[in-house]
Amino acid sequence: MNTTINNKEITSNNGLIATYLIVGGVIIGIMMIFGILMLLAQGGVLDFSPAAFYQFLTIHGTGMVGAAALAAAGVMWYFLSHYVELSKKVFKINLLLSIIGVVMVIIGVFSFKYASAWTFLYPLPALSGGAWGTTGALLYLIGMLILGVGFLLLYIDTGRAIIKKHGSLGKGLGWDVISGKRAEKDAPSPTVVASTMVTIVNTTALTAGAIVLIMNIINVINPAFTFDPLLAKNLTFAFGHIFANSIIYMGVIVVYEILPRYTNRPWKSNRPFLIAWTMSTAFTLVIYTHHMLMDSVMPKWMLIMGQVLSYANGLPVLVVTAYGALMIVYKSGIKWDMASGLAFMSMFGWVVGVVPAIVDATIVVNHVMHNTKWVPGHFHMYMGLGAAVMLFSFIYYLSKVDSDLKPNGLDKFGFVIYALGMISVSVGFLISGALSTPRRWATHFPEWMAPAVFGAIGGVLAVLALTIFIIHFIRYVQVRGKTGSDMNEKKLA
Amino acid sequence: MIQTVAWMVSLFFMLVITVVFAFVALKSKEKQDYEPIKKKWYKARTFYGVTLVVLFLVITIYTLRELPYNQPVYSAGNDPTIVDVEALQFGWNISDTEFKVGEPIEFHVTSADVTHGFGIYDEELNLIAQTQAMPEYTNKVFITFDKPGTYEILCLEYCGLAHHLMIGTIEVTE
Ligand code: HEM
Ligand SMILES: [Cu+2]
Ligand SMILES: [Cu+2]
Repeated sequence: MNTTINNKEITSNNGLIATYLIVGGVIIGIMMIFGILMLLAQGGVLDFSPAAFYQFLTIHGTGMVGAAALAAAGVMWYFLSHYVELSKKVFKINLLLSIIGVVMVIIGVFSFKYASAWTFLYPLPALSGGAWGTTGALLYLIGMLILGVGFLLLYIDTGRAIIKKHGSLGKGLGWDVISGKRAEKDAPSPTVVASTMVTIVNTTALTAGAIVLIMNIINVINPAFTFDPLLAKNLTFAFGHIFANSIIYMGVIVVYEILPRYTNRPWKSNRPFLIAWTMSTAFTLVIYTHHMLMDSVMPKWMLIMGQVLSYANGLPVLVVTAYGALMIVYKSGIKWDMASGLAFMSMFGWVVGVVPAIVDATIVVNHVMHNTKWVPGHFHMYMGLGAAVMLFSFIYYLSKVDSDLKPNGLDKFGFVIYALGMISVSVGFLISGALSTPRRWATHFPEWMAPAVFGAIGGVLAVLALTIFIIHFIRYVQVRGKTGSDMNEKKLA
Repeated sequence: MIQTVAWMVSLFFMLVITVVFAFVALKSKEKQDYEPIKKKWYKARTFYGVTLVVLFLVITIYTLRELPYNQPVYSAGNDPTIVDVEALQFGWNISDTEFKVGEPIEFHVTSADVTHGFGIYDEELNLIAQTQAMPEYTNKVFITFDKPGTYEILCLEYCGLAHHLMIGTIEVTE
């Protein structure tokens, strides 16, 4: 079984990969600016209407999750295509559908004042209290549906390719190695394992999402058709939780791929590794119920499982993934540069972000912290300092192997202010949460303003850093291929 | 207060993680063979993994003993006051807003339109209890106030443009 696909073929895809990353990166940058504006409004520094605030909230949540998922899909596709035969056509269609979806969402939000937040919790899209109409709601919901269909096609293709190569998705997760039928040395690579996991959880998430989007669309068109709000809520959080979490499971592929090259140490799938990923697959599918701990009408056993499994879901990353990253770096004589530094930072962000998440998944804690700013506190660490940083790591990696462009002192400066900025944003949120500040409030009581202003300052640092990263990447795209560099995916320090 | 404990515990573990990552980064420039490192640290991992599982189990058992969903056992002649709460865009209909310290209360919370969040705040603006206010469903909050004062009800689920203005009050007297 020869898994290498020749280099020319790989580099010929790099333009498309770069487009994914640039579209994702630029949207993330713009969304950060909306984030800063929201914090300044909550901090009492800026004064704009609640309508504008909630439109910003809606676009920030939707845009961040969508853009980060898009860029992360680019990362996953890039590496997965080294192992299995993926369809470039489907990859292009996903980009196209995503862009169409995003444009519809933007028009719905800014031209038609649609502001349901990215969770579009039924029946809010249809019952806005007069704030927005049917057109805005339909533009947003159908835009999301189109986006979702694009991603669904992509995961159907990755699933198809993995099955073709490995026999089944179970074998993609290495179940035959876990059961002892196959030797550890023949286990699927970490990239294939992670991609299989994401394929499984995201086809589920997107199916749930599509169902609840269609339910909402019907309800918006004809309010006489109603649905069970508790069912809608379950579907919404199943979709939202899984899809948002999948970003880090796609992004981590860059860590698996590059740390071994930088340290000259292998990072192979062994049995504990495979078991950890199977656990992550199962838990990611079911722990969305920790979003519903404050719905006492839910079956109590489901809520208790919500807590127990959320704790358990911390184990694979704490004991296997992050531990593995630390081990491979420890006394390795690693060559630190932007790509390896960001990869290491992203693992840190992931693990610290797990802590407040686990704390909040505790029912007695959730009782007084659910829907406070503690929640964005945890996921801005996890996403902003974890998942997003994996994308930036990939940007520097790709520009390193596909051109002779060198990062300079400014990039290093960007590295430092990004870390400081994103830590400040997240810690600002956590402190707000500890002070009981509700999330998604257009204005704050004076007692709650200071941490918001602090976070806004951190946000400015993060945007500056991201601008530096994107400038580097755009410079790469300009010199890509023109340098005649013989440096390619194979040759690396 | 639970929030303070949650914050301190989180801060502690986040700092521990920071120290570990910083330590590994500092030691990264030294160069050693991977095999002995793997051997030693795989062994350490077993210990670490088991410790973590035990820690999680203990915390789980400890924190699941008393859940906010459980109806308290009321002593004879001390029946709870049932309070009907209906949330609507954008305000609260609460059947009774004056209570006594020590009086057991059950808030039966629902919504007339979209999902809202029923959050009870004390005078220092600490969140002390909450539940979701959902259309077609009734969620319950069991509470006995032990301090007199004016408590505020804030909306804790995004419900539209006046979400942050959905503030109600209840009075608790001695
Ligand atoms: C400069 C950096 C950032 C700033 C200043 C920022 C700011 C904010 C603010 C103020 C909110 C609303 C908080 C509230 O509920 O009151 C928010 C929500 C959110 N942010 Fe960010 N953010 C940043 C980066 C990110 C990143 C990198 C991601 C993900 C990749 C992200 C994803 C989200 C999501 C999913 C929400 C939830 C939206 C909702 O509640 O509907 N943010 N952010
Ligand atoms: Cu409300
Ligand atoms: Cu509300």
